[in-house]
Amino acid sequence: MRPGRWVIALAVLLSLCVANVTGVYAKTLGFVLDTTANRATEAQAIVAQLNQAGITAEVRVWQQSVLQAQILAGQRIAYTTDWGSSYFDPFDLAVPKYVTRARGNFSFYSNASVDRDMTVASTTTNDAIRKTAYFDAQHTLFKEAPWVFGYVLQNIEAQSTTVQGWAPAADNSESVYPVSLRSGDSLIIGMRTDSIGTFDPAIPPNRDTETVLRNIYDALVAHTLDGKVVPQLATSWNKVGPAVYDFTLRAGVKFQNGDPLTADDVVYTFQRVLTPGAISGQSSPRKDLLGPLVRVQKIDDTHVRFVYGAAFPEVLLLQALVHFQIVPQKYVQQVGEAGFVAKPIGSGPFRYARGAVNSEIVLERNDAYWAGPAKLRQVVFRMMPEPSTRIAALLSGEVQIIQEVSPDLVDRLKANPSVQVKTAEGTRSYEIELNNKMEPFSDPRVRAALNYAINWDPILRDIYHGYAKRLATGFLPTGFGYDPSLKPYPYDLAKARELLKQAGY
Amino acid sequence: MSTLHLLHPIRRHGVRALSSMNRVSAGLAAEPVGFIAGVLVLAYVLGTLLAPLVAPYSPPATDLAARLAPPSRAHWFGTDALGRDVLSRTMYGARVSIPVGLLTVGISAVAGTALGMSGAYFRGGIDVVGARLVELLQAFPYLIFAIGMMAFLGPGFWNLIWALALKGWIEFYRLARGETLSQAKMEYVEAAHAIGYPSSWILVSEILPNIVNTVTVVAMLRLGYFMVLEASLSFLGVGIPPSIPAWGSMISDGRNVLFVAWWVSTIPGLALLVLVLAINLLGDRMREILNPRRRTG
Amino acid sequence: MRLLRILQRVLLAIPVAVGVAVLAFFSLHLLPGDPVQIMLGDTNTSAALIRSVQHELHLDQPLHVQLALFLGQLARGDLGTSIVQHRAVTAIIAEALPATIELTVATIVIAVLIALPLGLAGAIHPGSWIDRTVLSISLLGASMPAFWFGLLLILFFAVDARALPTSGQIDSAIGVPPVTGFLLVDSLLAHNGAAFLSVVRHLVMPALTLGVVFAAVLARTVRSSMVDVLHRQYVTTARAKGVPETAVVVKHALRNALIPAVTVAGLQVGELLGGNMIVETVFAWPGLGRLVVNSIFAKDYVVVQAAVMLYAITYVAANLVVDVAYTALDPQMELG
Repeated sequence: MRPGRWVIALAVLLSLCVANVTGVYAKTLGFVLDTTANRATEAQAIVAQLNQAGITAEVRVWQQSVLQAQILAGQRIAYTTDWGSSYFDPFDLAVPKYVTRARGNFSFYSNASVDRDMTVASTTTNDAIRKTAYFDAQHTLFKEAPWVFGYVLQNIEAQSTTVQGWAPAADNSESVYPVSLRSGDSLIIGMRTDSIGTFDPAIPPNRDTETVLRNIYDALVAHTLDGKVVPQLATSWNKVGPAVYDFTLRAGVKFQNGDPLTADDVVYTFQRVLTPGAISGQSSPRKDLLGPLVRVQKIDDTHVRFVYGAAFPEVLLLQALVHFQIVPQKYVQQVGEAGFVAKPIGSGPFRYARGAVNSEIVLERNDAYWAGPAKLRQVVFRMMPEPSTRIAALLSGEVQIIQEVSPDLVDRLKANPSVQVKTAEGTRSYEIELNNKMEPFSDPRVRAALNYAINWDPILRDIYHGYAKRLATGFLPTGFGYDPSLKPYPYDLAKARELLKQAGY
Repeated sequence: MSTLHLLHPIRRHGVRALSSMNRVSAGLAAEPVGFIAGVLVLAYVLGTLLAPLVAPYSPPATDLAARLAPPSRAHWFGTDALGRDVLSRTMYGARVSIPVGLLTVGISAVAGTALGMSGAYFRGGIDVVGARLVELLQAFPYLIFAIGMMAFLGPGFWNLIWALALKGWIEFYRLARGETLSQAKMEYVEAAHAIGYPSSWILVSEILPNIVNTVTVVAMLRLGYFMVLEASLSFLGVGIPPSIPAWGSMISDGRNVLFVAWWVSTIPGLALLVLVLAINLLGDRMREILNPRRRTG
Repeated sequence: MRLLRILQRVLLAIPVAVGVAVLAFFSLHLLPGDPVQIMLGDTNTSAALIRSVQHELHLDQPLHVQLALFLGQLARGDLGTSIVQHRAVTAIIAEALPATIELTVATIVIAVLIALPLGLAGAIHPGSWIDRTVLSISLLGASMPAFWFGLLLILFFAVDARALPTSGQIDSAIGVPPVTGFLLVDSLLAHNGAAFLSVVRHLVMPALTLGVVFAAVLARTVRSSMVDVLHRQYVTTARAKGVPETAVVVKHALRNALIPAVTVAGLQVGELLGGNMIVETVFAWPGLGRLVVNSIFAKDYVVVQAAVMLYAITYVAANLVVDVAYTALDPQMELG
């Protein structure tokens, strides 16, 4: 019983343990897939597939806000995420998601070449060069596979057959100006959200809020349903220099309170956004959408000039301007910020009549609209967060248009001759992001293996009923500079196993 | 002889407790409603224990080709959005509701009774602190309290129990405090004092046995309430993690497909309703048998 | 003397409300998640701008400084501005409160309409088959998970029968000039019968969902206290004097039997106000409960703190009202 023996025995045991941990012995890949309630079904189907392929995975469902905080703190390793792009350009999707330490870069991905490409694309005014940069970035991303690339989901919405002249928009906004009803002139839209944000156009953080605002206010330019930019309050614009743009305003436009809309209102609108703390002590969170804009100045009553601190592509400026509705300077200064939010006034086709952001908002026709009065007398945006309630309300004739129909319920609606299901190309990219800074997904082979190991076809076919399309990278087909030659990772379990073996699993 | 006698409780509650047990079981057996409720609860408990043996499918087994299938011979209660068998998942769901309910009630009853009894008996600081705490927690709406706690702790079995018990003890605290106050005035307690028994001995051996019946009845009635509360939180997505089948989250899963697959929400809800009803019936009968003076109310 | 007691109780509500708000402050600030990040959603925003917005909201300050700021504001009677809605919290709550109160009142009305006849029917012949049925029904109601019952109602009434609207408070085509914020009252003030009917139709399903559980508790209370009262001396005397049975029940017994019922109802009001958020979610009812739950998930703690204070004050007030009603119904009682 000499102590030496024990020391040797202990050393052998310890080295066995160490060998085990460092992977001398075969180890299996295992991780927790974090998700939120809206994608729990999909996540569970994916995990079931992975488990059959010998990868240990389990699903954990979180509250969105809690999961986001954990992701930002770098405490999760694999999570379902999605990001919308309302620019029809990768600028507001690929830049925040892929550039090193950008706001939406939840995968902690960092690649100098991708960073360079994105800088080129957001500072160059030459479209051909921008396109090349985006193509290059897509190829790099495809090879490095920072995420498990996912899919884009179509916008599925539905209407009663009494509605005429309506179609869903690619960016989810409901523009009801051209819409009419076969009988009656009051339209009710069942909104998918629980509550919109606020009536102040300098604040809105989400699409649902803007959906309502775009019917109350006008911007300098507007989107068509498929995302093309067309004149609205600005009739034309031209590039004076690489960093200077001039806009000509439509003459004779009046706000809903009768005040004329002039260059002063446009300048004021952008001053509110650019000046820190301008909105009752708070800064507009939308400022950065405008890029390096320094100031907007009045040339005369119908001309304004946008002055940039550095070159900024025209297309990005125009896409941004869609989101900045013009507010009446005199009215806002007279009633104050609180008064303005309580009773908003714009120059759009409908005026705010009554309602609350979390129940329903009733708008009435602006008879003095510059493009002629709308056909509808009244439009109601009613908050209906429960998918089943929206369907029931459409079927019973309570509402005439509903947002976001769950793919599972499409057949139920199609069986009814008095309603119609309509779709638009989606502008939201869905994926599983991987923490590139942490084991095991710091190894690109493991990330690629996961891309090969998931069979998306049955998931998209059965759960999303074919309303979803695979994406080769996060870039959207509706965006500028999308490379259609890149094909998504195929389902190839043999290849996945091979890659995992190389990585030591 | 006399010293030996002194160590015996003043009141012979040991016999009393035994006889009340007999009274309850005899009373239940004699009454058809109580009997059926008892059998139902027993069946749920058995189902919970034997679920892995009797469930026709494995609850996490997905079958995308058979998703949202209506009730059939293969799937008695149909399948959910992932093609999982609703019957099997409902059977496993009892393995969440019953333990969560029992543990929450157990922790609440023990903690609440202990605090309430000591507050009433010792008075002073402990009673004041307890009263203030109760006042504060009572004014805090329970569901908001639980949602806040769960959002903070994250979904999980034990997190859920702590979130529920952290306010659940109040009912027992108030009950035990009131009962102890009235018991403390009784002559048998005064007699024990006079003889010189230590306070803790009086509390545990004299007073506790005399309030344990009331506490048990309230615990039985709270059991169903906690089960519904657990389901509510899982319904809101802040209860049990979804990898474990639970009735509340199953009901929540089903509401998006309510109009094409009614069974996904309806079956687990029915399971919850029947169990809670059986427990409440049992609690109700127990109360009547143990305390015939008070009747129902 | 009694007035002094009431005043004392009213003043006691203040520390409770503040304590509850501080509790809400801590539980929300300790929660993971940053309101600015949540609010920004998918916006392409630089880290610098995020930091400056956080700074403007004092989110970069240590917790005790934020608490001091909050309490200082509170002392000046300022409840703050919602982070998400950029509006005064008082305005937001004032908007949501009438909907919740209306739903609560409708729930109580439905519950009383169900519970009173059931309880009385059971009490007249205790132990009869009617009594046993009443007790079973009320136990069934008490065991009902409200959110599930609401889904069943939607499934049955809204789609298959298409008889009742599934969400909202009033037919959108009907506009009522807002005077009180309570749609039932406003539609009556406007002499608009169609509007009133529409509001009632919208109320039925959510109120029924909540009312069934509430009615169950109430029916049992009415029954047992009625049984109790019917055996008292003065009732027996009245019977002996040849007073008709209906008059005995209604005139002599009911009034006294109502005391415990009022207590139960009063104590449940607090529960109802705080516990209806699930039903509000299912029926998209724009009330306080839904506002609070959404604000918790958005970490809009300014709204949560204020709403929770309101709940606390309501709870204390409900208890006080119950006690006052108690003494009014039964003069022998002393206000405690």
